[in-house]
Amino acid sequence: MSLKKQDDMDHNAWLKSQDLTAIETAFLTTLIWLDKRLRIVDYLELLETMYYRANLQMPKSHTEQYDLDNKFWYWYPLYSLGSLSIIAYLLAAVSGALLGFYYAPSTAGAAAQGDPTAAYDSMVMIMKDVQFGFMLRSIHRWAAQFMVAAVFLHMLRVYFTGAYKEPREVNWILGVVLIALTLLFGFSGYVLPWKQLSFWAAQIGVELALATPIVGEWAAQLLFGGFTLGQATLVRMYILHVFVLPFVVTALIAIHVGIVWVQGIAEPH
Amino acid sequence: MTDDTTAMTDGGTDDEARTDGGPPATVPPDDETPTWSERKERSQGLAQLTYQYFERSRREDEDLRTESTYVERDVLGFPTWPHETIRNLAITSFFLGVILLVASILPSHFGDPANPGSTPAIILPDWYLYWSFGLLKLSPINPELAVLGGNIVVSNELYGLIAHGAIFGVITLVPFLNKGNARRPVEEPGWAALGVTGVILAITLAVLAIQNFFPVPLELLFSLVFMLPVAGGVITYAVLKTMREGYMYDLNRRYYMLRPPK
Repeated sequence: MSLKKQDDMDHNAWLKSQDLTAIETAFLTTLIWLDKRLRIVDYLELLETMYYRANLQMPKSHTEQYDLDNKFWYWYPLYSLGSLSIIAYLLAAVSGALLGFYYAPSTAGAAAQGDPTAAYDSMVMIMKDVQFGFMLRSIHRWAAQFMVAAVFLHMLRVYFTGAYKEPREVNWILGVVLIALTLLFGFSGYVLPWKQLSFWAAQIGVELALATPIVGEWAAQLLFGGFTLGQATLVRMYILHVFVLPFVVTALIAIHVGIVWVQGIAEPH
Repeated sequence: MTDDTTAMTDGGTDDEARTDGGPPATVPPDDETPTWSERKERSQGLAQLTYQYFERSRREDEDLRTESTYVERDVLGFPTWPHETIRNLAITSFFLGVILLVASILPSHFGDPANPGSTPAIILPDWYLYWSFGLLKLSPINPELAVLGGNIVVSNELYGLIAHGAIFGVITLVPFLNKGNARRPVEEPGWAALGVTGVILAITLAVLAIQNFFPVPLELLFSLVFMLPVAGGVITYAVLKTMREGYMYDLNRRYYMLRPPK
């Protein structure tokens, strides 16, 4: 048996036999080179299928389908609130990632009680020294406000149009969990600048946790890193805000939207 | 060891000197993999129940499909590209634009650094947690038990936490309490009234949280916190109940015109 490599399909010979322009030759050579190693033809087929699926016709809207004489068109903005909360969430994620370059979750640097800490100073630095920093923080803050507002209004819309009814109970519960997590997101972000209001809001959080029977002390340790506020609290809130919650909330939003996709939008009829 | 000595990679046959791990493990032929029905028969307990249920559910689907008189028709509509995509991009840009505009004209406030030594006169969370903060100020209605000499049973903080739990619990249970096909508030005035009560309660609780800003005696404010939601709920109920008569007539007429009863 010959050790020489057999090439059943001599793609290069085929390439040479074609009368191709330079661009076509370069494209095909790259494609063949990649396909030999990664078998991308299969994935290209998948992409093609997705292209055709995406170009399907959208069904008629509810009012068109049931000939409701455009009576309810003015309710339609309420049906984009879930989408608005996702858009605001993405905007907050992008601006938050940029803020993360400059923010330091540390209570160091305060010589006496009430002196600015490293966290506070980094916020001042962001607002005063960083190019576009004041706007960046403003965008992050307002995106968060818009997200929370949109999430609340989204829940009201779902409640008052009865969209939570069978078979959508699971998604309603998921939505309640997402609201709670959004509020936790907001709370942990509120603590990070380590201003007076941040500190005392966190203080109320610790007191609430400690007031809970059985799990209280454990919850205080887990969330606030102890029974009194300090460096541990700030770092825990920071990790919660930039690591734990983003993953959890993003995953839950994906499931939430996925279930809507599978079950279809509840008709407001 | 055995007589069917396999050649080693270097061509030798001495098993003592073998260092290449031996011949490849035997791959079971395809027909040894159990088929779907074999697996169903072999399975026991929960797995078997799952198979049985899936079979039933598939048969149910099949029956419904064969019984159905549904005819698939072409539905006229807008294509995803470009119509829907452009529209969604327009909505998204509008939302983003509003957020950026508000962010640029209303920059956020930045207060003094944290001072564990001095409690500020006003402690407040962000506006969306005012309702929650208001729930923590319910100590005037924390019940006192005479048998305990007028002492409260649960601490005021725990009382507030229980209120949170109750509210989240009720909201979670809504889909299991309210069933049926009704979709519009007029069809279920009671549930709509409950919703309005909840919304107004959230607002009044928020007001209770920022009570310092309202020049109203605390007792009056406290009464209003609970009276206003109830009043709002009653008014909603009355209005919707009145609307319902004429509205349902029209709705039913449209519905039966579209889907005449068999």
